[in-house]
Amino acid sequence: MSDDFEKNLRDHLHSEAQETREFPRRLRGRIRDGIAPRARARMAPQIALAGALVLVAVAVLAFRNPTIISVVTTNIKQILQPSPSPTPQPFLCQDQSGGSSGLTATLTNIRPGAHAGDGYDRVVFDFSGGIPSWDLTRQESATFTRDASGQQVTLDGSAGLKLVFRDADLAGGVATDLTPRFSSIREVAQLGNFERVLSYGIGLSSSQCVRVLPLSNPSRLAIDVATSGSASTTAAPTPLPTLSPSGTDNGAFSCLDTSGGADSGLAMQLTAVRVAHQPGFDRIVFEFAPQAGGTAHMPAYTVSRQASAQFVKDPSGMPVTMRGSAGLRIVFHGASVASNYNGSRDLTPGLPVVQEVEQLGDFEAVLSWGAGLSRASCIRTLELSNPTRLVIDVQTPS
Amino acid sequence: MLMDPTLGRVIERWRAGDRDAFEEVMDRYGLQLLRTARLILRDPTLAEDAIQETFLKAWQRIGSLRDEDPGPWLTRIAMNESISLYRRRHRFQALTERFGRLGGARHELSSEARLDLTHALDQLTAEQRAAVALHYYQDLSVEETARALKVPVDTMKSRLKTALRRLRELTGSEEAFA
Repeated sequence: MSDDFEKNLRDHLHSEAQETREFPRRLRGRIRDGIAPRARARMAPQIALAGALVLVAVAVLAFRNPTIISVVTTNIKQILQPSPSPTPQPFLCQDQSGGSSGLTATLTNIRPGAHAGDGYDRVVFDFSGGIPSWDLTRQESATFTRDASGQQVTLDGSAGLKLVFRDADLAGGVATDLTPRFSSIREVAQLGNFERVLSYGIGLSSSQCVRVLPLSNPSRLAIDVATSGSASTTAAPTPLPTLSPSGTDNGAFSCLDTSGGADSGLAMQLTAVRVAHQPGFDRIVFEFAPQAGGTAHMPAYTVSRQASAQFVKDPSGMPVTMRGSAGLRIVFHGASVASNYNGSRDLTPGLPVVQEVEQLGDFEAVLSWGAGLSRASCIRTLELSNPTRLVIDVQTPS
Repeated sequence: MLMDPTLGRVIERWRAGDRDAFEEVMDRYGLQLLRTARLILRDPTLAEDAIQETFLKAWQRIGSLRDEDPGPWLTRIAMNESISLYRRRHRFQALTERFGRLGGARHELSSEARLDLTHALDQLTAEQRAAVALHYYQDLSVEETARALKVPVDTMKSRLKTALRRLRELTGSEEAFA
């Protein structure tokens, strides 16, 4: 429930906040100076002390009972002895899975290695506590979707492997992005670490067949990727499904982000948001009017495509999940919602593609909206005048 | 919670220890956090101290940030730092306020003593100001404010209601809505 007092309070807080006009340089400097080396480095003295104590304890034990040395040596050898190389497995051009569920496994290291002379590149995932359940999925592009966030990330290469570990923790210091740039394996990047599900993307120079070797002592999963021209079977790449932009009088659809307008003069006021279906596309219209003393113009805008319907509110940073499985984020600079705007700030038209359109932020002349889409779609934008309108057409399946 | 792809890459670099990436995050969220801290602490120097501590802790604890936008995470740290700092600096005042409350009913303010909003906000507790700042300045919902301050939603509703009633009383605005 909002009333004049609350409106006054809100205005007052914004006015007080504006007294802090910038993030002070001295504060930035203090923070920069305060950044010590990462925790691992700061632990070095403690680790050294712990190591020294262990050595002293072993020495005392050995002095009291010399036979323990041979026992310890034997056990250490058994622990450190890698498992014998398994019988060579064939390279397979298919998705694979394995591992054990219910473990308390921790990923401790990732090690890429080139074995060009043997016809493959290798990346090894080291674990403590056994090899957890894993799934390896091949894909015909190096673009992956991050877990939890849904954002897209494109790795080096033109094909990829997605490796997912379940019931696995991540030890500190494990690299999140490796770029070995081998003949086949180009990049290995973490895609997610959420609720004990670890996922990694492996960017490949081309679509290749894969051999997976679970090894023990220490527990590790080796992923071998055949190199081009090797004797290993090479999978024929399957073309990715693409949306064919349909040319119209209003211009072609594009599967790229788009921007335009200009952040100049007084901020424009958003007066209406409309959504409707037209043959071949769903249309979203943002209508603006100049404020008193200002001139009509299209505010600066960017329309960004994304692979999920999850958004973040501006400026709070709080998450919003809209209907659909993909989205558009529309951000205007030099615009705000008109004080007399009486339209909905959360439309759910349920059109073929546009499922929801919701305001995400209106703060310091930065106005942002999101659109939840039923599928990733190409778009086109039109800038219209009298009144000033930004039209976003979202292509629908033919 | 979603990051735009550019921010996602910045966070990945920060995780890998890249200080430039960390400073990019500071650029993005620093001013907003500083303004909010100042609304709570009522003192620009203390607000800077709180935000300095916020970013230093964030740098050290980046491992605890899941694959999510760092905004709410930083806000939680900043709120914690601001309220803790306020409590440390105002222990004596808090004590006298507590005794004051035990001493009897709150005095009604005469019209001459009615305060403007700035001074009325000074009279709230740090927790109330944090709630007011997040809800009315950052435009967080009650649920989001409760999450940021780590209290139950009902507690937050009650806290906001109490803060608002106190502000109305201090500014004499309750008469208009009686």
